[in-house]
Amino acid sequence: MTAHERPDGPRPDEHRVDDSRTGEHRADEYRPDGHRADRTPPPPPPFRPAEWRARAEAAAGKALARVTGTALGPYQAAVVRIGFAATWLLFLLRELPHRRELYGPESPWGWELAERLNDANEAFSVLMWTESGVWFECVYALAVLASAALLLGWRTRTMSVLFMVGVLSLQNRSIFMGDGGDNVIHLMSIYLVLTRCGRVWSLDARRAARTAPAASAASGPTAAPDAPAAALVSRDVTGVVLWTLAALALAVATFGPGLTAGWALVFWGLWAVQGLWWLVCRRAPGEPRAVCDIVANLVHNGTMVVIMAEVCFIYATAGWYKIQGSRWQDGTAAYYPMKLDYFAPWPALNDLFVGNGLMIMIMTYGTVIVQVAFPFTLFNRRVKNVLLFVMIVEHLSIAVLLGLPFFSLAMIAADAVFLPTVLLVWLGTRASGLAGRLRRGTGFGARGEGVPAGDAGAGSGAAEDTGADTGAAPAVPHGRAPVPAPTAERAPRD
Amino acid sequence: MEPHEERRGGGVAALSAPGRAVVAIAVAVVAVAVAVHLTMVFLHVAPDNTLSKEHGRTIDDYVLPEFEQNWKLFAPNPLQQNIHVHARARVTKDDGASETTGWVNLSGMDGANIRGNPFPSHTVQNELRRGWDFYSGSHDNDHRAIGLRGELSQAYMKRIVLERFGTELNGGTVDRVQLRSAVTRVAPPAWSSEKIDTKTEYRVLPWWSVGRDDLKGSK
Repeated sequence: MTAHERPDGPRPDEHRVDDSRTGEHRADEYRPDGHRADRTPPPPPPFRPAEWRARAEAAAGKALARVTGTALGPYQAAVVRIGFAATWLLFLLRELPHRRELYGPESPWGWELAERLNDANEAFSVLMWTESGVWFECVYALAVLASAALLLGWRTRTMSVLFMVGVLSLQNRSIFMGDGGDNVIHLMSIYLVLTRCGRVWSLDARRAARTAPAASAASGPTAAPDAPAAALVSRDVTGVVLWTLAALALAVATFGPGLTAGWALVFWGLWAVQGLWWLVCRRAPGEPRAVCDIVANLVHNGTMVVIMAEVCFIYATAGWYKIQGSRWQDGTAAYYPMKLDYFAPWPALNDLFVGNGLMIMIMTYGTVIVQVAFPFTLFNRRVKNVLLFVMIVEHLSIAVLLGLPFFSLAMIAADAVFLPTVLLVWLGTRASGLAGRLRRGTGFGARGEGVPAGDAGAGSGAAEDTGADTGAAPAVPHGRAPVPAPTAERAPRD
Repeated sequence: MEPHEERRGGGVAALSAPGRAVVAIAVAVVAVAVAVHLTMVFLHVAPDNTLSKEHGRTIDDYVLPEFEQNWKLFAPNPLQQNIHVHARARVTKDDGASETTGWVNLSGMDGANIRGNPFPSHTVQNELRRGWDFYSGSHDNDHRAIGLRGELSQAYMKRIVLERFGTELNGGTVDRVQLRSAVTRVAPPAWSSEKIDTKTEYRVLPWWSVGRDDLKGSK
């Protein structure tokens, strides 16, 4: 099955989820201790350490196979990528008229002030290389372009690095202009660099899907899968050009204005990895590529854990500190922010809420309960989804009531890492259906969106990855990669 | 089962010994890195505790500056007062006479800009508000600067005021500026029996002289 044969619409996917669940249950029946309600419980088995050890080893082996063989949560990674890229892009466009006052030569946080602070705390910003206004305009423009490219998933891995450079450079130039929303964008821009977030819903994925059938047709189903890959890799002029440009820029940065040793290591390291990936795809498509693929999966999966934990930290911190506050205890806390001049774009609208004591009390207690409870609900899919919905609604209302649209958008993008795969796939299908109708079928979503994530070919070196993960030097999927329909099983947390 | 399931099973086991060694090292490195990172960030966001008091330096070295974060959003209590920053200037006219302007409510101007604006700019929502937080957090009660941050924050506030006033005001050149905070507590909700004094309290800062370098780089 290839990308365009993937069944459209959510129904089949939902089915598959159910199937896999039933499968699990069936497997349970054969387990020595499998307890099913409709049976008389067997006598408790004697404690056999060897058996437990074997079971633990089997579980560990299974877990290892999962984290090495798959980039888990491809849809979640993609939606986080799209969410943060869009938030930062919209923010930069909104602030276009104010850009020079925020981060540029007209900022009250003058360049010399920034230089003194950044010298003390070693924050990274390419804007501190020179005071030049032209340089500032270039960096701002580059930040806009990198956000747009990351949003579309064009050369995702390379653009994620540029995106991070843009976010860090602008924010660290004027650290006191930011708020909580900027803070979460700052963190996520760093984390995204380490994820394979372009597997689905990206131009990279679409390119991979397009080259896959071509390669497959050229070689026939039985041909060695690597020949067409090499042929197609060698044609990737854009990748080679990007990689070379990156080397030039890095060389100038390293020997010119100067990178700290740590950052030089980070950037040159990322650059070298891109080159290595291109090389193994081209020259060593067997085991070396399989190993690289596994390492990339591991790094992705580790980073996804960090992203999920980060969201939990945010809510846990916000919730637990509130519990100590008298206003959160007496049920009036939600009233006060709405009466602050800095957070009241619609005072008349706020008055509708603040007039009702019960409403304020529910909002106050509800906020604390949801924030404190959220990390624990991850153990239960259904409760987690309900809370996720509540939090997204709350952020939407904060966007309007407190006049914090970009903060709210960033928080929703972070929440999205916990959205269920089934819902994301459904939304993707809807979106691509809409795009297809708008653009008569040749649209970006129509095929790109269906390319699966990670599983295909992982570990065997066959197919998959490709541009989505190489950025500078995309390898090519060749076509024999099956396109598994997304199942909930693949999401780390759905 | 779909074919990829089988192939996945073959993943690590199908590799040669060196290949498996690389994967084993990668597993260890990633696991340790994730554990260290999450521990550090946890200790950074958690309240001061036994561990973070002992290893505060290590935690700061790791977390700052790029992983710094603060999620005490409206906690432990939300801000319950409107803090407005007012400013005035002493200007020297061409004939040598000097004049002190009236107080200008800069925060009020920010507020007016925010009202009815679905997308308030950071320049009106954060610049002065956070600048003032930064200033008051790095000065003692006698307006003395605390460390580098105190010094930087004073320069920052002066520049914020000068950018809004300009160097020419009321037909004269701005020589000195003065700031004051006007703090008004939010009245308790209508349905509450609480009584709170909502009289505005002022805190006046010393005059700051304006030098030629103060607006360097500005428009």
